[in-house]
Amino acid sequence: MTKLYLFIRRYLSVFLLFGALAGFAQGKSVSGTVTSSDDGSGVPGVNILEKGTSNGTVSDASGNYIITVGDNATLVYSFVGYATQEVPVGSQGTVNVTLQLDVTALNEVVVIGYGEVQKKDATGAISSVKAADFNRGVIASPEMLIQGRTAGVNVTSANGEPGGGVSIKIRGTSSVRGGSNPLFVVDGVALAGDDISSGGADLGRGTSAPRNPLNFLNPSDIESIDVLKDASATAIYGSRGANGVVLIKTKSGKGLAKQLTFNSDFNVSNQAKYYDLLERDAFLKGVADRGGDPVAQDFGGNTDWQKEITRTAFSQKYDLGYSNSYKGGSYRASFGYNDQQGVIKQSGLQKITGRFNINQSFLGDKLKTSAQITLARLNDNYAPISDNAGFEGDLLGGAYTANPTWKNDPDVQPNNSNVNPLSLLKFHVDRAKTNRSLINLSADYDITKDLNFRVNYGRDRTESERRSALSPELFMTNGVTDNGRASLNDIKSSSDLLEAFFNYKKDIGANSKFSALLGYSYQLFHREGSNTQGWGFAGPTTISMDQQIDHLEASRNSIVETVLDATNDYQVIGVDSDIFFRGELFPTPKLTTVSGKPSSRVRSVVIEKFEQEDELQSFFGRLNYSYADKYLLTATFRADGSTKFGGDNQYGYFPSVAAAWRLSDEGFVPDAFDDLKLRVGYGVTGNQEIPHNLYTSRQRYDYGTNARIDGGGNVNPPGLNNVAFANPGLKWEQTAQFNVGLDFSFIEGKLSGTVDYYNKNTTDLLIQVNSAQPAPQPFQWQNLPANVINKGLEFTLNYTAIDKESSGLKFNFNMSFNDNTVKNFDGVVDTGGINGQGLSGAFAQRIQSGQPLYAYFLRDWTGYDANGNNTYNGGDIQKFLGKGPLPKQYFGFSINYRYKNWDAMAFFTGQMGHYIYNNTQNAYFTSGSLGNARNVTTDVIGSGESNVNAPDVSTRFLQKGDFVRFQNFNIGYNFKLSNKAIKNLYLSAGGQNLFVITQYDGLDPEVNTNKALNNVPSLGIDYSSYPRARTFSLGLRATF
Amino acid sequence: MSKALKYLIPTMVMMMVFTACTDLAVKELDSKIIESTSGAFSGVDPAAALKSAYGDVRQFGDQANMYAMLEVASDELLVPTRGTDWGDNGVWRLLHTHDWDATHPYILNTWNNLNANGFRLNQLLAPESKASAQQLAEGKFLRAWNSFYIMDFWRQIPQRGVNDEASKAPEVLTGQAAFDFIIGDLESALTDLPTRTAGAASNVKDSPFASKAAARFLLAKMYLNKHIYLKSTPQAADMTKVIGYVDAIKADGFTLQSGYFEIFEKTDDSETIFWTDAGVGNRIWNGMHYKMFADGKDSGKDGGWNGFSTTADFYALFEGSAANNHPGAGQEERRGFVPNAPTTNGTGIGFGFLVGQQYNKAGEPLKDRAGAPLVLTKDFPGLAGNNERTGIRVIKYNPGNDNAFTSHQVLFRYADAHLMKIEAILRGGTSGDAAQTLFDELRTIRNASSKTVSLEEVFNERGRELYIEGWRRNDQVRFGKYSTPYGFKTNTDAYRDVYPIPASAISSNPNLKQNEGY
Repeated sequence: MTKLYLFIRRYLSVFLLFGALAGFAQGKSVSGTVTSSDDGSGVPGVNILEKGTSNGTVSDASGNYIITVGDNATLVYSFVGYATQEVPVGSQGTVNVTLQLDVTALNEVVVIGYGEVQKKDATGAISSVKAADFNRGVIASPEMLIQGRTAGVNVTSANGEPGGGVSIKIRGTSSVRGGSNPLFVVDGVALAGDDISSGGADLGRGTSAPRNPLNFLNPSDIESIDVLKDASATAIYGSRGANGVVLIKTKSGKGLAKQLTFNSDFNVSNQAKYYDLLERDAFLKGVADRGGDPVAQDFGGNTDWQKEITRTAFSQKYDLGYSNSYKGGSYRASFGYNDQQGVIKQSGLQKITGRFNINQSFLGDKLKTSAQITLARLNDNYAPISDNAGFEGDLLGGAYTANPTWKNDPDVQPNNSNVNPLSLLKFHVDRAKTNRSLINLSADYDITKDLNFRVNYGRDRTESERRSALSPELFMTNGVTDNGRASLNDIKSSSDLLEAFFNYKKDIGANSKFSALLGYSYQLFHREGSNTQGWGFAGPTTISMDQQIDHLEASRNSIVETVLDATNDYQVIGVDSDIFFRGELFPTPKLTTVSGKPSSRVRSVVIEKFEQEDELQSFFGRLNYSYADKYLLTATFRADGSTKFGGDNQYGYFPSVAAAWRLSDEGFVPDAFDDLKLRVGYGVTGNQEIPHNLYTSRQRYDYGTNARIDGGGNVNPPGLNNVAFANPGLKWEQTAQFNVGLDFSFIEGKLSGTVDYYNKNTTDLLIQVNSAQPAPQPFQWQNLPANVINKGLEFTLNYTAIDKESSGLKFNFNMSFNDNTVKNFDGVVDTGGINGQGLSGAFAQRIQSGQPLYAYFLRDWTGYDANGNNTYNGGDIQKFLGKGPLPKQYFGFSINYRYKNWDAMAFFTGQMGHYIYNNTQNAYFTSGSLGNARNVTTDVIGSGESNVNAPDVSTRFLQKGDFVRFQNFNIGYNFKLSNKAIKNLYLSAGGQNLFVITQYDGLDPEVNTNKALNNVPSLGIDYSSYPRARTFSLGLRATF
Repeated sequence: MSKALKYLIPTMVMMMVFTACTDLAVKELDSKIIESTSGAFSGVDPAAALKSAYGDVRQFGDQANMYAMLEVASDELLVPTRGTDWGDNGVWRLLHTHDWDATHPYILNTWNNLNANGFRLNQLLAPESKASAQQLAEGKFLRAWNSFYIMDFWRQIPQRGVNDEASKAPEVLTGQAAFDFIIGDLESALTDLPTRTAGAASNVKDSPFASKAAARFLLAKMYLNKHIYLKSTPQAADMTKVIGYVDAIKADGFTLQSGYFEIFEKTDDSETIFWTDAGVGNRIWNGMHYKMFADGKDSGKDGGWNGFSTTADFYALFEGSAANNHPGAGQEERRGFVPNAPTTNGTGIGFGFLVGQQYNKAGEPLKDRAGAPLVLTKDFPGLAGNNERTGIRVIKYNPGNDNAFTSHQVLFRYADAHLMKIEAILRGGTSGDAAQTLFDELRTIRNASSKTVSLEEVFNERGRELYIEGWRRNDQVRFGKYSTPYGFKTNTDAYRDVYPIPASAISSNPNLKQNEGY
């Protein structure tokens, strides 16, 4: 440990040199020590400013400072978490100050777009969560830190996969396309909304969703997460603010002198719930009862396939952080390692992160510079699980339906369309490696004491490679058996952000304060990559799957080498036993048959390349005016220009205005109120998260539909396909939002909270719709002439029941109500594709006027008739039933208790008022499925269903999704050590997802499998989703 | 620090920032923009476009979409749901029971496919594409082929010019204008279309192509159905036109041919006027039971898909005992037979209507997957709740003919033209031939007993001759039978003679008006 400490010190001494550059002015020298009222220790990193000037300094590691001031100076001491203090210097040469802990939360700082503001002065609806209140346990990405912690923010992880996708809906759902997550801004850098790793190729069992692009951040590096919810707060982000903005602030070294922290967590996870499937005897009897041949179906085993593919998963996490602050600057360096196993064998996430934050002032604090650098390496391991497998199932569907009499031996494979799940595990590899770096450099200069100029440069780079293979030894359709398949999917994406803005602050007269922000922003998004598929790996000698991947990679490189010459590029290349072609686009599209087959160890190969670039250019401004600190007014404006739109609609304009009235400062409000503030705001924000250029007629060679390798290893040369149609009218999706809120705090701050009402109206929805025929393609992107209205109410209540030296008890509760309706739409759009046997073309959701988004559209099932066939109320037709997948209410509730050195925390979260469509049951757990010798859940026996009944999409598979989850429990002990080497040692034990109360029959009601149809997303459908785990943790936190 | 420097730094940075200001010109790195700078259409390669337009006709070969709308909604075919199979969200059941609405996916897909084909043909026919006279004629014929089905299904034909923007709502032709649009294409195509002589080997060796006979066949269909499309009564002059077109087809050498099931082999014959190179696999595997080919000549390959069947009533139209359809059971030729002894083509699969016990290529009785004898029954317990064995299967293309994936499917054939002529005479057209003589001629060549001709018998004869060739719905509508109850259909809505405009098409184009009743 000492060695590392020394290393860090030496390494950072370079940066310390900058401290010496601090300028000095003439005058009188004052020195002193700043201590804390809490424990009398020195407070490092306190900002000390000569009032009315920009002259200032920062206390050192022991809280000592020295500053040269003018005559009659007053010094202002400010530090986060302490009340600001002013001390007139007079003739003193030494001024020692004791800072008082700030008991009220009012002076808490919240992060807003392009700045920070004290909570009491905020006019928008903003929820702020600090590190201390983050969720604990196995957490791969930052959104999960605040799941359930804030009103109006509904965070749902799609499933239990390590690092799997997370959807975060702020104040309801208003979009009908992908990309409805909020904008994430990390230390001022707005991130691109795209996935950074590939969803993987379909090798025969469907496609899966890529993992969460935010996994690259180490949750331990995050200081606070602020969520901007209403339009008056998000309009400063204009075209990207409509779904809300999540501002992530990382930890810096401010106020932490030579502090080394070490955190470690050790977690054990098990699948929380299993399906109750038939065991061998019941299965064979069930088959026989349905006219099958139990002798033919008995393979002698008695295997619990769910148990075979799952495991007790161990995860470990280590973080090391070193922080220091000194006169003129501070820094923090951290290193994190996290190895998270999934409960499904083969799945996991390994993460290595490094982070360095430095702040340095120059020219007597007039110039402040900072750099935030994150480097992350993610190693993802995937199990063969997909979103849209057919009745044969992916690994999970396969395990649910596998004949329990099959032996639990991967080398015994049934000669059947259903695959032995263990064989699928054994003969499958799927891995991704992702490197991401996020660098933010900023400089901030006080031109005068009122005018400040800031420039930010942000650079985000990702390189991801996904490699997968299925062995020729696997018995599976799609030409896998005896041939094998493999794929390579590479994505390189980057964004470069340059921002510059002026801040102006002026007190006009005694009571009026005015401030303004004016800025420019430019962001360039670039994305490129390639997809390669290979077929035919079996040779005279058997090769491993890693060799399959190596051979494919070598073949790809040599084929590309063969077709590339000085003048020719390619967009698509195909090779099979008969043909070798290259499709190029520039200067004229041309599909050429290349002579001479390339030397390739892989019999058929298809390669595709893609590359796209988009730009966003913005001008923005904000005005704040306050009178007597009671009346606050904010107005913002942003103009965004984007290459996502053409013609006259390239620029979108997004204004907002908000006002707040601090009623508690008025005489007529009783003194019992520490705070009472009314906020009203209105604004317009936009959305541009649609694919690249959809307004110019463009063509490219098709990949995936035609240029693919069929089950026989043949590649068909693709045709030129229209990717977009001339559509210069395409424009921004707009959301206008009205918000009124009340912040309150009374009984000396013991009870505080917030109530907000909002009404969001989204128009010109961007959606992929059927083209008006005759047209060259069936679909095109359009602005839907419709309104999506989200209105709702949010409550946050915080109550401190006990607040004593030796003990404390706090309750935090938040609850949100949201109502969603589609209006003024004269068409219908179907989504929620349902998979399974005899379910081609089946869907479960329809978007139509008068209904909530993604409302269920189903047959109204009333049971079975005497023959065991379905009966439906109103006939064999699908209709709306007033049920939808959007939760109408959701809440979070936490209890924090401390007694002497002990502390305990419990956190519950829940969602209500929504329904889940159980596609898993629909596809697999029916009498007919058992009749076809596929395993089912025990309730199928005796359900009265005939084995010839059709499991059509109906309310039979729709269930209430209400749940309450005991999400987090933690108990800890803080050792107050006399040993100086370790300042603080904290040990904790806890659990995650301890229990769920729900009526839902599936594995977990918090679920969202991607069942989009024609690019219109679905919601709330469960199809053999990665099961969720129950986790127990041990944690250690030490400060040196 | 000097004041000048104080302002200089931010000014310089700001200048740097603003020089970075962009005009937001989008760069295309992996796709080719196909409009000229003015945005105008610059033409397509006519040969390639024509080839792909013939390719578009292959959509008829699929069992879903267009074919399902033509056949599964008629009394010839139904697709019973068999346990977990063929439920497909009710699409097949809704077609059979005539309970579809404007959101039925096959109606939407067919609308999109036929209209998109029309647009691509507009591109071929545009002067910018510089097509030759024959290419133009073939393009017009193919546009008429697509338009004919749009007219037949929906009675409304939307139009989009090659230079129209995405935001422009296509204009819509209805009634006489729509009728004239198709007739115009066909008549102007006649001049430059080649004459195709029946029986020439080149007819099947090459890709399918349009001929004068094919255009005349479609003209005859148009005039025969004109009173339906225009909601009037049959006009003698139109019927005489039908007769004239059929006579002109005959003048090119087309004539009735004996050996009914040989017409559906790939070798050319004197009946096939227009065909598509769609594979016939779907026509075969649609109905076959899973076990019916698995042990046939391609042993080891998957068997049938066990879907499509016919109604008992339709089967009853044919002569012969209903009890079985073994060779020599007294059935007429067109009902086909179920071989109960080894077959020469080595498949064990019969022709025509497959009922009762089925056999493998060795003539041994087949069993279903659960082990019960594979006895196909005439009757069904219902549209849903069927086991693997219900329903008589219908087959005209046989895997024993060549192989299961022969790319040759007949679209227009002379027997249909012959029956159109008889019908036109009965509906008041003038001809030198007598309807009864022509009727006898057909029944004699099919080895069926003679019957007195009547419109009712022509309707039945069309069923017996042309079953599962895609004409039954059109015939049922023309003879007023489509809105009568049959099979499991009780719905008698007359407005269902026309399909609804798909809901998403209505919302994409305000010029379309939903058809009456929907």
